[in-house]
Amino acid sequence: MYATKSAETTDAAAPLLSDAIDLGYLDTAQAKFSMTPGGFLELDYKGVNYPRVAVRRSLPLAMPNEYLSLADPEGKEIAILRDLTSLDPGQRGLVEAELNRRYYCPNIIEVKSVKDQLGYVYFELTAQGSGPPSSRMCAVKDVNKNIRMLSDDDVIMFDVDGNRYRIPSLKALSAKSRKRLEPYLF
Amino acid sequence: MDHIDLAFSLDESMRPVNGRLLFDSAGVITVFLDGKPALALPAKDAKEARVLGSVGCALVFLTFEDAPDRVLARFDMSRLKAAGEWCKVVNHAIETGKPVFDDAIEPEVCEKCGKTLPEGMRVCPFCFSKAGLFKRAWALLRPFKREILISQTFMAMSSALYVSVPVLNRILIDNYLAPKLGTAAEIMLLAGFMFLARAIGETIYVLSARVYARAGTLFSNYLRDIAYAKIQKLSMAALGRRTPGELIRRVMEDTVTIKDFLTDYGRWMMETGLMFIVSMVILGVTNWRLALLVFAPVPIVGYALYRFRNMIQIRYERQWRKNSRAQSILHDIIKGIRTVKSFGAEDREIEKFARVSKDLAAVMTSNETMWALLFPAVTFFSGIGEFFVLYVGGRWILGGQLSLGVLVQFTMFLGYIYQPLRWLVSFPRVLADAMTSLVKMFEILDEEADIQETAMSKDAAVEGAVDYQSVSFGYKSYEPVLKEVGFTIEPGEMIGIVGKSGAGKSTLINLMLRLYDPNTGRITLGGDDLRSVSPRRLHERAGVVFQDTFLFAGTIYDNILYAKPDATPAEVIAACAAANAHEFIMKSADGYDTLIGESGFSLSGGERQRLAIARAIIKNPRLLILDEATSSLDLETESIIQDSLNNLTRKRTTIAIAHRLSTLRAANRLIVLDKGRIAEIGTHVELLRKKGIYYKLVMAQRQTSRTAEA
Repeated sequence: MYATKSAETTDAAAPLLSDAIDLGYLDTAQAKFSMTPGGFLELDYKGVNYPRVAVRRSLPLAMPNEYLSLADPEGKEIAILRDLTSLDPGQRGLVEAELNRRYYCPNIIEVKSVKDQLGYVYFELTAQGSGPPSSRMCAVKDVNKNIRMLSDDDVIMFDVDGNRYRIPSLKALSAKSRKRLEPYLF
Repeated sequence: MDHIDLAFSLDESMRPVNGRLLFDSAGVITVFLDGKPALALPAKDAKEARVLGSVGCALVFLTFEDAPDRVLARFDMSRLKAAGEWCKVVNHAIETGKPVFDDAIEPEVCEKCGKTLPEGMRVCPFCFSKAGLFKRAWALLRPFKREILISQTFMAMSSALYVSVPVLNRILIDNYLAPKLGTAAEIMLLAGFMFLARAIGETIYVLSARVYARAGTLFSNYLRDIAYAKIQKLSMAALGRRTPGELIRRVMEDTVTIKDFLTDYGRWMMETGLMFIVSMVILGVTNWRLALLVFAPVPIVGYALYRFRNMIQIRYERQWRKNSRAQSILHDIIKGIRTVKSFGAEDREIEKFARVSKDLAAVMTSNETMWALLFPAVTFFSGIGEFFVLYVGGRWILGGQLSLGVLVQFTMFLGYIYQPLRWLVSFPRVLADAMTSLVKMFEILDEEADIQETAMSKDAAVEGAVDYQSVSFGYKSYEPVLKEVGFTIEPGEMIGIVGKSGAGKSTLINLMLRLYDPNTGRITLGGDDLRSVSPRRLHERAGVVFQDTFLFAGTIYDNILYAKPDATPAEVIAACAAANAHEFIMKSADGYDTLIGESGFSLSGGERQRLAIARAIIKNPRLLILDEATSSLDLETESIIQDSLNNLTRKRTTIAIAHRLSTLRAANRLIVLDKGRIAEIGTHVELLRKKGIYYKLVMAQRQTSRTAEA
């Protein structure tokens, strides 16, 4: 789905749009990330200080570390970081930590029970974000919409509160967990 | 309460933590980590406490006048609402210098188990009582008690006649045929009895079914009526929590599910249940040992079916989902066929649909195959009892312990006994569906109107001044849309409201119309607090035109009349003339009788807006609210309408929102909103001189129009 190079669908004579339009990629040589004492990511870029920068993924599911949009608190884009790996390790760690704080989506490692009740499906799960795994209950409404198969093996689930859970590999789950989940996957 | 608490679950590296954010009556904010205070600071040092929602998580932070923002707590989305409440309390204390804790609303939790209730749900899914639910459901059937009673009596009679046939059969065999004692007349008589029992039984059964069908239809009609009436009475806030599709499902689908369950299934349950019990009693009395044998496979088959049920349910659910996916793709593509063709993507779409369709076919084939195997198997196993009975009964007959008639009677009864078992397969699914529908239905019926129309509600003094007194409001408590908004509109004034998208312009008007009540502060109309004013009377007396004009299916005339059912044709035509709609209406063959709406004549955006304006002004209202009412019109038509509006009653108070600032040139004053707060108030000239937000907006629009001209 996500092509790395556009092929014959584009008219050969026409320049690629991505070459014709300046996306405002971050000039990493002029960017310096740091942490404020208040716990926010700060950016000094081309002589301007941005004391609170949000790092937003353009393709959070498909390319979590590419096309990262850096924005000020008003949502105004400062620049696009084309690829996280283009930063040096120290700077990269700061941005990675910020992504980790912004996108919270623990992995489901066990499905302990499933209860289908009154239009809601209740999952008792063991899930793991950063840190040790923990048990939790979550309720999912409208399973058709809120449990999505990203591929044959990769599942994302949204509960009624707006929490997200991911199963990076269904095959890696225990047979029991998979069986409990099975009716809700499609 | 002398403090407000917010539990939070994540630390700065998003690792689980047992955190607590406390704000106390001394005005101090304390962060506790695992029970130990980690940070304490007085709230008055801060400018504002805010919630920042991220993806799957959120945080609370403080902003300061002259120091960088500071994160206080991080948590998953479950605490979002509570965090909003926490910030509200802290911000109130920062603004007034006095902490007040009474206003804080805890998210709704179940009184019994303490679990947070899912959004929009009043019943705890873990604690609700099934018995209570069905008791309430039966209560709904009360108006139809007579029909149900009659039908049930008929049914009992017909069942009694049915079970008499095997008994007569036994008598015939044992008393007349086996001993070879009967005369032709006696046999004729018994056979006649059996025939009559059957014939009368069937007739009564038809009667019972007819009465029941009638009751069922009336019942679903009654359910639809009460659900629909309740929805009409709900406030916008309550309606906003549900999608239109959901409400339609409540009225059209849930009512049918409930009806099917209570009448059709209820009837079936009684019928088969009654036959089962009567059959068992008769068999037990005739020969209890043989009866036990008949009953032997019942628990086994029952259990097997119960186990299969899960599998069947999963399979059919999958089929249903694949089917709905294929349908939605089809729906989408056919709706957007013009776009598909314009991109030359027909082949891609054909391929996409073929794939989904093939998927569906595969699932359906597999399900049908399974049914084709399962059903005969179940029938076979449930029939095993028959072989037992024949074998054992046959041996007993040969041994002289049993008569032939009894055996025949037993085999005839077997059907009555095994029938209900097969039905067990689908019953749990039906029961679960019915429960879900019932709970959702009761949720709607139990919804308390947020905005109550009490007997005390005053008439709306729309000719009076409108006064907003430090009004704050948010559709979600953690996201305030309007903050401390205050201004007065004198009677007869025309006020323009400007601001960027999302600044809170439409919300300001929603509050004016009392579609919602403010969270804090108040709005008065002619000196009366809007909370004491009847919303119905207010809507009757004010004229409103929204941007997304909705016209009902019907004639143009009917649509205009919607606002004033007793208007004369002259009034209707006058309203359309003033809205500059008369001309285009007269161009169509049927004039004002032209059908519009879904199946009728299609109107352009500008034409729809003009009809909506005509509908709003036909009452010649003293208070006119225009929310982007002329946005789809060209400049010339807009100014014609503006002029005719201005020429109507001069004493009218008008509140108008417009993106196109030229629309508001006639306004006495302009209110400029920025991020939910009033940024500027003044006349066009005053605001231009001020060179603030309004000035920038005007300049930007001039620039755009100049570029467009060039």
